Amino acid sequence: MFKSIQYVIRENLSNLFRIYSISKYELLADMRDSKFGIFWNFASPAIQVFTYWLIFGVAWDRQPIEVKGISVPYLPWLVVGYAIWWFIQPCIQKGCSAIFSKTGVITKMKFPVSVLPATIVCKELFNHGCMLVIMFVTLFLCGYTPNINWLWILYYMFCAFAFSESVSLILSVLTMLWRDIKKLVTSLIRMFMYFSPVIWECSFSSSVPFAAVLNSIMKLNPVYYIIQGYRDAIFYGQTVFDHPLLTLYFWGVVLVLFAIGCALMFKFKKKFIDLI
Amino acid sequence: MTEYAVKVDHVSKIYQLKNKDGSHAKKQFYALRDLSFQIEQGDVVGILGTNGSGKSTLSLILAGISDIDGGTLDIRGEQALIAINTGLNPQLTGEENIKVKGALLGLKKKEIEQITQSVIDFAELGDFLYQPVKKYSSGMKSRLGFSISLALDPDIFIVDEALSVGDKGFAKKCMDHMMKLRNNQNKTIFFVSHSMSQVRKFCQTGLWIEGGKLQKIGPIQEVCDEYEAYVNELNALDAKEKKKVLKKKFDQRLIPLQKKGFWARLTGGIK
Repeated sequence: MFKSIQYVIRENLSNLFRIYSISKYELLADMRDSKFGIFWNFASPAIQVFTYWLIFGVAWDRQPIEVKGISVPYLPWLVVGYAIWWFIQPCIQKGCSAIFSKTGVITKMKFPVSVLPATIVCKELFNHGCMLVIMFVTLFLCGYTPNINWLWILYYMFCAFAFSESVSLILSVLTMLWRDIKKLVTSLIRMFMYFSPVIWECSFSSSVPFAAVLNSIMKLNPVYYIIQGYRDAIFYGQTVFDHPLLTLYFWGVVLVLFAIGCALMFKFKKKFIDLI
Repeated sequence: MTEYAVKVDHVSKIYQLKNKDGSHAKKQFYALRDLSFQIEQGDVVGILGTNGSGKSTLSLILAGISDIDGGTLDIRGEQALIAINTGLNPQLTGEENIKVKGALLGLKKKEIEQITQSVIDFAELGDFLYQPVKKYSSGMKSRLGFSISLALDPDIFIVDEALSVGDKGFAKKCMDHMMKLRNNQNKTIFFVSHSMSQVRKFCQTGLWIEGGKLQKIGPIQEVCDEYEAYVNELNALDAKEKKKVLKKKFDQRLIPLQKKGFWARLTGGIK
């Protein structure tokens, strides 16, 4: 078990330049594909957020979300949640085909396969950066000014990175064994979004039966921790020390996922070529 | 007595077969069966065999890409398979692709800067270097890919049908480069090719595999002669007989198997 974790970490660390180059040039190739290039890295998430805001915020007239006496209008609340979802969702979805899409490379050269999920996550980290720009602009327009507590975003970004890396490690290997995983994940991810506090706060009102139980279950979702973390940092002035239990739980889950991912990667590292 | 570079001991490689409808057949197939040989350092080995006899499987195993299912394999030194078109991104320019493929091959940033000029010189692409690779002709693509592969400096080269790219001039240039590696740097080279004249000129040892089994290993001219005689004999047969011979050869490589599902593979590994 520890051997496999050690193996994956060492292979990733000794190939940092490889990871960087692969993600950089894949991004570049994506941009060359279209005429406006990098414009779309900003435009597509902006359009998404605009759509959700139009429907849920304007058409359904969502009231400002109030937590612990601080109320936040829907648009800034949504844009923060969506910013992190825009990172995690493609990581999970593209993480599935991280290895499979590089079939041509791994069958033709000796290649450290375990770095492939990391290349996907790094690539999406760039897109997340673009999305953060949109988020900050929206926040400024809504009258929020940065304060020192916003720096906690960096910590939660690292949480998101660790979580996405672990999940895509697992999913990329499973997809090689069983191609259906990719289709399954593609269909489930949309459902997953509604079980995460992206466009609604993921808490049932007390009129719903078992509301308390359901609300606690919602918090077991690791993505809940990350998204709420971003919002805590920006709106509610809270830090990670305000919910130590959830933090411990989150890192526990991530470590277990990472260990499973490493074990799978280690076990099948030489078999991928026969699984294609 | 020089030291050996590669020692292959009773190595087998098994592939899973599928039925006509795509489901898993309860059959396995020996891609390589009980292969044993030893290659000395600095030797140039020509791997011969008809299509589907296991040449490419052997080169993948020697390159350390594919795992073996039985036996032991001992390789001393860094090995690299010369892959031509792998890792080129059609959207990017030739110059960027040198960096991409260099990074894929595991070169450090400094090393890539060092090799860039020699790759540009060797590929002779001129101003096309700044065009996206999707606009390249297939020959030009191969030139670029091959030139980058050559910039590697492993102890053991594995060249699988890679020298039949480009026009005659470029093929000769590649050949000359390989000759230089052979003569001056004492590299061990495995050379897979169907061009008998190339193999005879370039290699020292011949390795003939047929139906996944080692048929003969020895001085190149001898093995080439025997191999050519075998091919001629096979071609002389009429279609029906030929089919029979091939079928027999195929059946010899089959082994029955107990079926393993997804979960069994996940928990038990493939072996």
